Amino acid sequence: MSAAHAVPLLETRALSMRFGGVVAVDNVSLTVAEGELRCLIGPNGAGKSTFFKCLTGQLRPSSGRILWRGRDITGADSFAIARLGIGIKTQVPSLFDGLSVLESVVLAVRRLHSEATSRARAVAALARLEIEHLAGRQVGLLAHGQRQLVELAMVVAPEPGLIILDEPTAGMSAEETRRAAELIRELNRRHTIIVVEHDMQFIRSIASAVTVFHQGRVLMEDRVERVLADPRVRDVYLGKSAERAKIPA
Amino acid sequence: MDVDLALAVLLQALTGIGTLVIISLGLAVIFGMMRVINLAHGEFLMLGGYSAILAVKAGANIWIGMLLVAPVVVGAVGFVVERVLIRHLYGRMIDTMLATWGLSLALIGGVTMIFGNSVSGFSAPLGSVAIGGFRTSGYSLFLIGAAAALVVCIWLVLRFTALGLIARGTMQNPDIAATLGVSPARVYAITFTIGAALSGLAGGLIAPLSGVVPTMGAAYIAKAFITVITGGSAILAGTLSASVLLGAVNTVGTFLTTPVLGEVVLLIVAIVLLRLLPRGITGRFFRGAL
Amino acid sequence: MRAAPPGIERRQYLLEIGGAIALAAAAAIGLPRALELFAVINATVFVSLAVLALSLALIWGFGGILCFGQAAFFGLGGYAYAVAALNLSDTTYAVPIALLVPTAAAAALGYVMFFGRISDVYMGVITLTVTLILFNFSNSTAGDEWRIGAAPLGGFNGIPSTPPLNVPGQPGAALPPEAIFRIAVACLALCYILAKLVLRSSFGRVVIAIKENELRAELLGYDARLYKLGIFSLGGFMAGIAGLLFASCVFVSPTMFSLSYSAQIIIWVMVGGLGTLAGPIIGCILLQMLTTWAGTLRDISPSVILGVILMLVVLALPKGLLPTAFAIAGRLRRGDRR
Repeated sequence: MSAAHAVPLLETRALSMRFGGVVAVDNVSLTVAEGELRCLIGPNGAGKSTFFKCLTGQLRPSSGRILWRGRDITGADSFAIARLGIGIKTQVPSLFDGLSVLESVVLAVRRLHSEATSRARAVAALARLEIEHLAGRQVGLLAHGQRQLVELAMVVAPEPGLIILDEPTAGMSAEETRRAAELIRELNRRHTIIVVEHDMQFIRSIASAVTVFHQGRVLMEDRVERVLADPRVRDVYLGKSAERAKIPA
Repeated sequence: MDVDLALAVLLQALTGIGTLVIISLGLAVIFGMMRVINLAHGEFLMLGGYSAILAVKAGANIWIGMLLVAPVVVGAVGFVVERVLIRHLYGRMIDTMLATWGLSLALIGGVTMIFGNSVSGFSAPLGSVAIGGFRTSGYSLFLIGAAAALVVCIWLVLRFTALGLIARGTMQNPDIAATLGVSPARVYAITFTIGAALSGLAGGLIAPLSGVVPTMGAAYIAKAFITVITGGSAILAGTLSASVLLGAVNTVGTFLTTPVLGEVVLLIVAIVLLRLLPRGITGRFFRGAL
Repeated sequence: MRAAPPGIERRQYLLEIGGAIALAAAAAIGLPRALELFAVINATVFVSLAVLALSLALIWGFGGILCFGQAAFFGLGGYAYAVAALNLSDTTYAVPIALLVPTAAAAALGYVMFFGRISDVYMGVITLTVTLILFNFSNSTAGDEWRIGAAPLGGFNGIPSTPPLNVPGQPGAALPPEAIFRIAVACLALCYILAKLVLRSSFGRVVIAIKENELRAELLGYDARLYKLGIFSLGGFMAGIAGLLFASCVFVSPTMFSLSYSAQIIIWVMVGGLGTLAGPIIGCILLQMLTTWAGTLRDISPSVILGVILMLVVLALPKGLLPTAFAIAGRLRRGDRR
């Protein structure tokens, strides 16, 4: 399999994040290949969000490295990471409340294209997410689920190489979640995707490869069916004694 | 440099540091506890000074005027201000700043209307004291002692009283007061009153230094603010560390050049410090200290 | 608030610019005829302060940068103009210097603040501190040893011999106060139009987006530090223009750096309406007129009036005059349709 020799799209090596005495992310080494759809799961406090923030440049890791196509990008600023072609959707939607939906998506691509092209691409992105009818609405007045879709449009419009989503379905209705799952599968055809989630049903409907976080470390990494059947993972989620979930050194 | 000179400079530095501590504590309490930026702090100082002077003119003892009348009067003013103005603006930092700025203007104008523009004052008690080969004012020594006493008192209250416990809890998390059965509104009212009283006390204490004038607040508020913000969110550790650093720098600067340039040096050091430690000194060091 | 479709938005935008030009022309032509000399000079001061208000309205209302020390660039513009004009004996070359100094200072200070990722509260303190430094410093420059070339800095007295603007290229021909008033009005209109154009450009739209949500703007690949630096420097430039105009019709002194001016600028913007450009201009002129009138009262200090107004505005009209007026107008209009 030639993929094994290709440079991975994103790789972390022994990534750690410490806050004072607390080790939120502990020696995490992760590899995501081009075209993958990877889920990072784990209960609250497992370190997923902190790991996410290290990837997005919001936090500077205490130690370890992050590599993009083999290039070291550890500690890079958020805007530099975005310019590499990494689209990021935060857990609580980061939006421009005072602007209209269309203006927001235009801004997402304006850096790369002219005014006219940006408009066209923005409209196309809105259409892809079936929210063209919201184009003139002010973002701050939208419902939560709609805001999530607007943010997705902003992330998708510049055609990023990698998309990282932090709990994309939080607050979504069942129908919106179903649509989001469909969308993510469709997006995966053109983009590599990393999804941080803890909604198990959602993971089941989209995932192929899953990495499980626990207490800042990687508990296991495998295909979704095997992960969801693993007793250690169940324990970790149900909070049974952490002893049984001891990770081999 | 002979010992006497070194001692003189050291004493000068300690006085400068002590003064900074005294004028900043009231502000530190209000900012550290409530995250309220009270731009009328300088005017609370001013009112404290005037209260002390009026008390003395009315025949009271100097010490009573400075240490009792000043804080009580300004504490009362602070209570009223909190109920009428600040209470409506919690969480709105910019609006609080602007409202207290309006208050500051109104107070300056009001006092000017009543007392005019000239400097009033009374001379510093305690005469001069001989130290080594030179003389220094006894009052400077008193100020150093007063600053130390204030810090110790506040530390004792914070550490060992119920009020202090609630205060510390509320500083960490405003909801704690509610879970402890005390209304946060009351905690804020008490805190603001105490902060105002401290500012009034400070005003009384510095009145003998250069007299009081309606616009004296402006000179002190900038320094108090810079000290508090440079210090960071811990009331005592922050104010102390910032006062020591900035006061020392100011003294050395004044000693080497002129008083004005000494001020400039203080301000520059503050900027550099904030550039390096964006959350103030206690944002990085002494975290968890009071 | 509904975001207007592009056509209507464009029409409103052109209307605002047209209105500004018309108003400026009317004032420039009409006021010098209607007012006596003393009032014309006063009016020039008001207009120059309105430019100062506009500079803060731009960086605060649209850039999200609360600068407590806009007075610093105001004073730097004034002093740079005075020093250059006295040394070069011709204000034609003094003007560009007077504009360069505050802009460069704003760029330098902005670099320190934005690239140091300093948070809002501390930014306010730092900008205030810089203004204080300049105030203290300029107050201490009395005495002959403090001069830059032919210009004595004058300490707390300032530079009473600040020359007024002369006809470009003719150093001997000083412009009369009416002409300086017209230039000031033109500058105000031009700064307003410039601000509108900048805000409408792609640069301006990113600045506004950064104010809305800096994280999201960065996640879209925009380096927020650069944009903030840009708008802040533009604000310094405009404040410098205000300082130049002020210096030309009055004279420079350390009060330009005073805490009082720093406070008033913020008050003008708040009262006029943060988030608008016209509001602060109107607020500034209204408050200046109010302060001047209050100064004539014998028994009440103007500070009291200003202070009480500020407290009332914060408590009752938190959005400021202009936005509140629009809101009321909007409600009346909607009421009419029913």
